[in-house]
Amino acid sequence: MVYFASSTDLSVLAKGIMMGFGMIGPAIGVGLMGSSFMTAVGRNPEASKYLGQLLVVIAIVELMALLVFASIFII
Amino acid sequence: MLNSLLRLSAAGPIIHITSEPLFKFHGITITNSILFSWVCSVVITLLLVGVALLARARPRGGFIQYVEIVTDFIVDLVESALGDREKALYYAPYFVSMFFFIVFNNLFGLLPGVGEALTYHSLPLFRAFTADLNGTLAVAVVAMGLVEYFAMRESGPLNHLKHFFNGSFKNPMTWLLGFFEIFSELTRVISLALRLFLNIAIGEIIIAVFAYLGHVVAPITALPFVILEIFVCLLQAYIFVMLTVMYLSVAIHHEDTPEGITHPESLAPREKSHTRSSA
Repeated sequence: MVYFASSTDLSVLAKGIMMGFGMIGPAIGVGLMGSSFMTAVGRNPEASKYLGQLLVVIAIVELMALLVFASIFII
Repeated sequence: MLNSLLRLSAAGPIIHITSEPLFKFHGITITNSILFSWVCSVVITLLLVGVALLARARPRGGFIQYVEIVTDFIVDLVESALGDREKALYYAPYFVSMFFFIVFNNLFGLLPGVGEALTYHSLPLFRAFTADLNGTLAVAVVAMGLVEYFAMRESGPLNHLKHFFNGSFKNPMTWLLGFFEIFSELTRVISLALRLFLNIAIGEIIIAVFAYLGHVVAPITALPFVILEIFVCLLQAYIFVMLTVMYLSVAIHHEDTPEGITHPESLAPREKSHTRSSA
Protein backbone atom coordinates (compact mmCIF):
# COMPACT_ATOMS: atom_id res chain seq x y z
CA MET A 1 0.00 0.00 0.00
CA VAL A 2 2.91 2.34 0.41
CA TYR A 3 4.62 1.62 -2.91
CA PHE A 4 3.28 4.75 -4.57
CA ALA A 5 5.50 6.84 -2.30
CA SER A 6 8.65 4.78 -2.65
CA SER A 7 10.61 7.45 -4.46
CA THR A 8 9.84 10.11 -1.89
CA ASP A 9 9.61 10.14 1.82
CA LEU A 10 6.22 9.47 3.35
CA SER A 11 6.71 12.44 5.62
CA VAL A 12 5.93 14.77 2.70
CA LEU A 13 2.50 13.17 2.44
CA ALA A 14 2.04 13.47 6.18
CA LYS A 15 2.96 17.15 6.10
CA GLY A 16 0.49 17.84 3.31
CA ILE A 17 -2.38 16.08 5.03
CA MET A 18 -1.60 17.76 8.34
CA MET A 19 -1.53 21.23 6.83
CA GLY A 20 -4.68 20.62 4.82
CA PHE A 21 -6.82 19.37 7.68
CA GLY A 22 -5.23 21.50 10.32
CA MET A 23 -5.90 24.86 8.76
CA ILE A 24 -9.64 24.31 8.33
CA GLY A 25 -10.47 24.85 12.00
CA PRO A 26 -8.66 28.12 12.67
CA ALA A 27 -9.81 29.58 9.36
CA ILE A 28 -13.46 28.86 10.18
CA GLY A 29 -12.93 30.24 13.66
CA VAL A 30 -11.47 33.51 12.45
CA GLY A 31 -14.26 33.81 9.88
CA LEU A 32 -16.91 33.35 12.57
CA MET A 33 -15.32 36.00 14.76
CA GLY A 34 -15.07 38.42 11.87
CA SER A 35 -18.68 37.88 10.91
CA SER A 36 -19.94 38.44 14.47
CA PHE A 37 -17.85 41.59 14.70
CA MET A 38 -19.29 42.89 11.45
CA THR A 39 -22.81 42.08 12.62
CA ALA A 40 -22.23 43.90 15.89
CA VAL A 41 -20.79 46.96 14.16
CA GLY A 42 -23.65 46.93 11.69
CA ARG A 43 -26.23 47.05 14.46
CA ASN A 44 -24.33 49.54 16.60
CA PRO A 45 -21.54 51.53 14.95
CA GLU A 46 -20.07 52.38 18.33
CA ALA A 47 -18.96 48.76 18.71
CA SER A 48 -15.94 49.38 16.46
CA LYS A 49 -13.99 50.36 19.58
CA TYR A 50 -13.74 46.62 20.34
CA LEU A 51 -11.40 46.07 17.39
CA GLY A 52 -8.45 45.69 19.75
CA GLN A 53 -10.10 42.88 21.67
CA LEU A 54 -11.09 41.20 18.43
CA LEU A 55 -7.46 41.12 17.31
CA VAL A 56 -6.44 39.68 20.65
CA VAL A 57 -8.94 36.83 20.37
CA ILE A 58 -7.88 36.23 16.76
CA ALA A 59 -4.28 35.86 17.94
CA ILE A 60 -5.35 33.24 20.45
CA VAL A 61 -7.04 31.27 17.65
CA GLU A 62 -4.09 31.78 15.30
CA LEU A 63 -1.93 29.93 17.82
CA MET A 64 -3.61 26.69 16.72
CA ALA A 65 -2.89 27.42 13.07
CA LEU A 66 0.71 28.27 13.85
CA LEU A 67 1.13 25.04 15.80
CA VAL A 68 0.16 23.13 12.65
CA PHE A 69 2.64 25.14 10.58
CA ALA A 70 5.41 24.60 13.08
CA SER A 71 4.78 20.85 13.23
CA ILE A 72 5.99 20.65 9.65
CA PHE A 73 9.52 21.23 10.84
CA ILE A 74 9.23 18.59 13.52
CA ILE A 75 8.08 15.71 11.34
CA MET B 1 29.07 41.70 2.38
CA LEU B 2 30.16 38.99 0.01
CA ASN B 3 28.03 36.52 1.92
CA SER B 4 24.85 38.38 1.04
CA LEU B 5 25.79 38.32 -2.64
CA LEU B 6 26.56 34.60 -2.48
CA ARG B 7 23.03 34.01 -1.18
CA LEU B 8 21.69 34.87 -4.64
CA SER B 9 22.88 31.50 -5.85
CA ALA B 10 21.39 29.47 -3.00
CA ALA B 11 19.40 26.38 -3.87
CA GLY B 12 16.51 27.04 -1.52
CA PRO B 13 15.35 29.56 1.04
CA ILE B 14 17.68 29.76 3.99
CA ILE B 15 15.58 29.07 7.05
CA HIS B 16 16.78 28.95 10.62
CA ILE B 17 14.45 27.64 13.29
CA THR B 18 16.90 27.24 16.15
CA SER B 19 19.64 29.54 17.28
CA GLU B 20 23.24 28.59 16.72
CA PRO B 21 25.85 28.52 19.48
CA LEU B 22 28.64 31.00 18.85
CA PHE B 23 31.22 30.49 21.55
CA LYS B 24 31.69 29.16 25.05
CA PHE B 25 32.28 31.35 28.06
CA HIS B 26 33.48 29.45 31.16
CA GLY B 27 31.54 26.41 30.03
CA ILE B 28 28.30 28.26 29.22
CA THR B 29 27.33 28.22 25.54
CA ILE B 30 26.44 31.63 24.21
CA THR B 31 24.08 31.53 21.21
CA ASN B 32 23.48 34.30 18.74
CA SER B 33 20.07 35.10 20.19
CA ILE B 34 21.58 35.57 23.65
CA LEU B 35 24.08 38.02 22.16
CA PHE B 36 21.25 39.87 20.45
CA SER B 37 19.27 40.08 23.68
CA TRP B 38 22.25 41.62 25.46
CA VAL B 39 22.57 44.29 22.78
CA CYS B 40 18.83 44.96 22.94
CA SER B 41 18.84 45.15 26.73
CA VAL B 42 21.62 47.74 26.68
CA VAL B 43 19.71 49.80 24.10
CA ILE B 44 16.44 49.58 26.07
CA THR B 45 18.12 50.47 29.37
CA LEU B 46 19.86 53.48 27.87
CA LEU B 47 16.65 54.60 26.18
CA LEU B 48 14.32 54.29 29.17
CA VAL B 49 16.75 55.64 31.76
CA GLY B 50 17.56 58.54 29.45
CA VAL B 51 13.89 59.33 28.94
CA ALA B 52 13.24 59.09 32.68
CA LEU B 53 16.03 61.55 33.41
CA LEU B 54 15.10 63.95 30.62
CA ALA B 55 11.33 64.01 31.12
CA ARG B 56 9.93 67.17 32.66
CA ALA B 57 6.46 68.14 33.85
CA ARG B 58 5.91 70.45 30.86
CA PRO B 59 5.81 68.53 27.56
CA ARG B 60 8.94 69.31 25.61
CA GLY B 61 10.83 67.34 23.02
CA GLY B 62 9.61 64.91 20.40
CA PHE B 63 10.97 61.50 21.24
CA ILE B 64 10.12 61.56 24.94
CA GLN B 65 6.45 61.87 24.06
CA TYR B 66 6.45 58.57 22.18
CA VAL B 67 7.79 56.71 25.18
CA GLU B 68 5.21 58.48 27.34
CA ILE B 69 2.42 57.47 24.96
CA VAL B 70 3.41 53.80 25.19
CA THR B 71 3.80 54.00 28.96
CA ASP B 72 0.35 55.58 29.36
CA PHE B 73 -1.13 52.92 27.13
CA ILE B 74 0.26 50.09 29.26
CA VAL B 75 -0.64 51.77 32.56
CA ASP B 76 -4.23 52.27 31.32
CA LEU B 77 -4.34 48.61 30.35
CA VAL B 78 -3.12 47.55 33.80
CA GLU B 79 -5.59 49.89 35.47
CA SER B 80 -8.56 48.63 33.47
CA ALA B 81 -7.66 45.05 34.41
CA LEU B 82 -6.90 45.61 38.09
CA GLY B 83 -9.49 48.31 38.72
CA ASP B 84 -7.33 50.39 41.04
CA ARG B 85 -5.14 53.27 39.85
CA GLU B 86 -2.75 53.05 42.79
CA LYS B 87 -2.19 49.32 42.38
CA ALA B 88 -1.74 49.86 38.66
CA LEU B 89 0.99 52.42 39.28
CA TYR B 90 2.64 50.00 41.68
CA TYR B 91 2.77 47.13 39.18
CA ALA B 92 3.28 49.29 36.09
CA PRO B 93 7.11 49.27 35.93
CA TYR B 94 7.25 45.48 35.54
CA PHE B 95 4.73 45.40 32.70
CA VAL B 96 6.08 48.47 30.91
CA SER B 97 9.60 47.05 30.90
CA MET B 98 8.25 43.65 29.80
CA PHE B 99 6.40 45.32 26.91
CA PHE B 100 9.42 47.38 25.83
CA PHE B 101 11.68 44.34 26.01
CA ILE B 102 9.42 42.20 23.83
CA VAL B 103 8.69 44.97 21.33
CA PHE B 104 12.32 45.92 20.87
CA ASN B 105 13.45 42.32 20.55
CA ASN B 106 10.74 41.66 17.97
CA LEU B 107 11.28 44.80 15.93
CA PHE B 108 15.07 44.72 15.93
CA GLY B 109 14.83 41.24 14.45
CA LEU B 110 13.67 42.86 11.21
CA LEU B 111 16.71 45.12 10.87
CA PRO B 112 19.09 44.50 7.96
CA GLY B 113 22.05 43.43 10.08
CA VAL B 114 20.19 40.72 11.96
CA GLY B 115 20.33 37.43 10.09
CA GLU B 116 22.60 36.19 7.36
CA ALA B 117 24.34 39.49 6.56
CA LEU B 118 26.70 39.47 9.54
CA THR B 119 28.29 36.09 10.03
CA TYR B 120 30.75 34.67 12.52
CA HIS B 121 32.40 31.49 11.23
CA SER B 122 29.56 31.20 8.65
CA LEU B 123 26.89 31.35 11.37
CA PRO B 124 24.53 34.32 11.67
CA LEU B 125 25.89 36.64 14.32
CA PHE B 126 22.53 38.01 15.46
CA ARG B 127 19.12 36.40 15.72
CA ALA B 128 15.98 37.79 17.32
CA PHE B 129 15.69 36.67 20.91
CA THR B 130 11.94 36.09 20.61
CA ALA B 131 12.43 34.04 17.44
CA ASP B 132 14.05 31.40 19.65
CA LEU B 133 11.91 29.11 21.78
CA ASN B 134 14.42 29.31 24.63
CA GLY B 135 14.04 33.09 24.67
CA THR B 136 10.27 33.17 24.77
CA LEU B 137 10.19 30.41 27.37
CA ALA B 138 12.47 32.53 29.51
CA VAL B 139 10.22 35.57 29.16
CA ALA B 140 7.09 33.52 29.84
CA VAL B 141 8.57 31.80 32.92
CA VAL B 142 9.68 35.14 34.32
CA ALA B 143 6.27 36.69 33.59
CA MET B 144 4.25 33.91 35.24
CA GLY B 145 6.76 33.72 38.08
CA LEU B 146 6.19 37.43 38.70
CA VAL B 147 2.42 36.89 38.61
CA GLU B 148 2.64 34.11 41.20
CA TYR B 149 5.02 36.13 43.36
CA PHE B 150 2.75 39.18 43.31
CA ALA B 151 -0.32 37.06 44.08
CA MET B 152 1.43 35.40 47.00
CA ARG B 153 2.62 38.73 48.30
CA GLU B 154 -0.84 40.27 48.02
CA SER B 155 -2.74 37.59 49.88
CA GLY B 156 -0.27 35.29 51.58
CA PRO B 157 1.05 32.01 50.17
CA LEU B 158 -1.51 29.69 51.76
CA ASN B 159 -4.45 31.86 50.77
CA HIS B 160 -3.20 31.94 47.22
CA LEU B 161 -3.10 28.15 47.09
CA LYS B 162 -6.54 27.95 48.69
CA HIS B 163 -7.83 30.14 45.88
CA PHE B 164 -7.53 27.17 43.54
CA PHE B 165 -9.55 24.89 45.80
CA ASN B 166 -13.07 26.24 46.05
CA GLY B 167 -15.52 24.55 48.34
CA SER B 168 -15.11 21.98 51.06
CA PHE B 169 -12.08 19.71 51.13
CA LYS B 170 -14.13 16.56 51.72
CA ASN B 171 -15.54 16.84 48.21
CA PRO B 172 -13.29 15.00 45.72
CA MET B 173 -14.39 17.37 42.94
CA THR B 174 -12.67 20.17 44.81
CA TRP B 175 -9.35 18.33 44.69
CA LEU B 176 -9.78 17.47 41.01
CA LEU B 177 -10.67 21.01 39.97
CA GLY B 178 -7.89 22.39 42.12
CA PHE B 179 -5.23 20.27 40.47
CA PHE B 180 -6.58 21.14 37.04
CA GLU B 181 -6.37 24.82 37.92
CA ILE B 182 -2.76 24.44 39.02
CA PHE B 183 -2.00 22.51 35.83
CA SER B 184 -3.60 25.24 33.75
CA GLU B 185 -1.18 27.73 35.29
CA LEU B 186 1.66 25.70 33.79
CA THR B 187 -0.03 25.47 30.39
CA ARG B 188 -0.39 29.25 30.45
CA VAL B 189 3.40 29.52 30.50
CA ILE B 190 3.71 27.23 27.50
CA SER B 191 0.91 28.91 25.56
CA LEU B 192 2.40 32.38 26.13
CA ALA B 193 5.85 31.20 25.06
CA LEU B 194 4.62 29.27 22.02
CA ARG B 195 2.36 32.04 20.77
CA LEU B 196 5.13 34.63 20.78
CA PHE B 197 7.77 32.27 19.37
CA LEU B 198 5.58 30.89 16.57
CA ASN B 199 4.37 34.27 15.41
CA ILE B 200 7.84 35.78 15.19
CA ALA B 201 9.67 32.70 13.84
CA ILE B 202 7.05 31.95 11.20
CA GLY B 203 7.15 35.59 10.13
CA GLU B 204 10.88 35.24 9.60
CA ILE B 205 10.34 32.06 7.58
CA ILE B 206 7.74 33.76 5.39
CA ILE B 207 10.08 36.68 4.73
CA ALA B 208 12.91 34.27 3.88
CA VAL B 209 10.70 32.30 1.46
CA PHE B 210 9.47 35.41 -0.35
CA ALA B 211 12.93 36.92 -0.49
CA TYR B 212 14.12 33.70 -2.10
CA LEU B 213 11.30 33.71 -4.65
CA GLY B 214 12.27 37.14 -5.92
CA HIS B 215 15.93 36.53 -6.62
CA VAL B 216 17.11 40.02 -7.53
CA VAL B 217 13.92 41.91 -6.69
CA ALA B 218 13.79 40.41 -3.20
CA PRO B 219 13.26 43.81 -1.49
CA ILE B 220 10.08 44.30 -3.53
CA THR B 221 8.61 40.85 -3.06
CA ALA B 222 9.36 40.70 0.65
CA LEU B 223 8.14 44.25 1.42
CA PRO B 224 4.45 43.49 2.15
CA PHE B 225 5.44 40.74 4.53
CA VAL B 226 7.90 42.94 6.37
CA ILE B 227 5.09 45.45 6.92
CA LEU B 228 2.83 42.61 8.11
CA GLU B 229 5.58 41.51 10.45
CA ILE B 230 5.90 44.97 11.98
CA PHE B 231 2.19 44.84 12.79
CA VAL B 232 2.50 41.29 14.14
CA CYS B 233 5.43 42.25 16.39
CA LEU B 234 3.48 45.07 18.04
CA LEU B 235 0.30 43.02 18.35
CA GLN B 236 2.04 39.99 19.87
CA ALA B 237 3.85 42.09 22.47
CA TYR B 238 0.53 43.72 23.42
CA ILE B 239 -1.19 40.32 23.65
CA PHE B 240 1.57 38.92 25.84
CA VAL B 241 1.42 41.79 28.30
CA MET B 242 -2.38 41.89 28.28
CA LEU B 243 -2.70 38.19 29.03
CA THR B 244 -0.15 38.46 31.84
CA VAL B 245 -2.05 41.37 33.37
CA MET B 246 -5.28 39.41 33.11
CA TYR B 247 -3.74 36.41 34.87
CA LEU B 248 -2.52 38.74 37.58
CA SER B 249 -5.95 40.31 38.04
CA VAL B 250 -7.58 36.87 38.24
CA ALA B 251 -5.03 35.77 40.84
CA ILE B 252 -5.39 38.91 42.97
CA HIS B 253 -9.13 39.49 42.88
CA HIS B 254 -10.12 36.26 44.50
CA GLU B 255 -11.69 37.77 47.61
CA ASP B 256 -14.91 38.43 45.73
CA THR B 257 -15.43 34.94 44.37
CA PRO B 258 -17.91 34.81 41.50
CA GLU B 259 -20.97 32.73 42.24
CA GLY B 260 -20.70 30.04 39.68
CA ILE B 261 -21.17 26.35 39.38
CA THR B 262 -18.40 25.56 41.84
CA HIS B 263 -19.84 27.63 44.64
CA PRO B 264 -21.30 25.12 47.14
CA GLU B 265 -24.38 27.13 48.03
CA SER B 266 -25.54 27.24 44.46
CA LEU B 267 -25.62 23.44 44.33
CA ALA B 268 -27.94 23.07 47.31
CA PRO B 269 -31.59 22.50 46.42
CA ARG B 270 -33.76 25.53 46.92
CA GLU B 271 -37.03 25.02 48.70
CA LYS B 272 -39.92 25.69 46.47
CA SER B 273 -42.25 28.25 47.87
CA HIS B 274 -44.87 28.34 45.17
CA THR B 275 -48.32 27.29 46.10
CA ARG B 276 -50.44 25.15 43.91
CA SER B 277 -53.87 26.39 43.28
CA SER B 278 -56.29 23.69 44.25
CA ALA B 279 -58.66 22.46 41.67
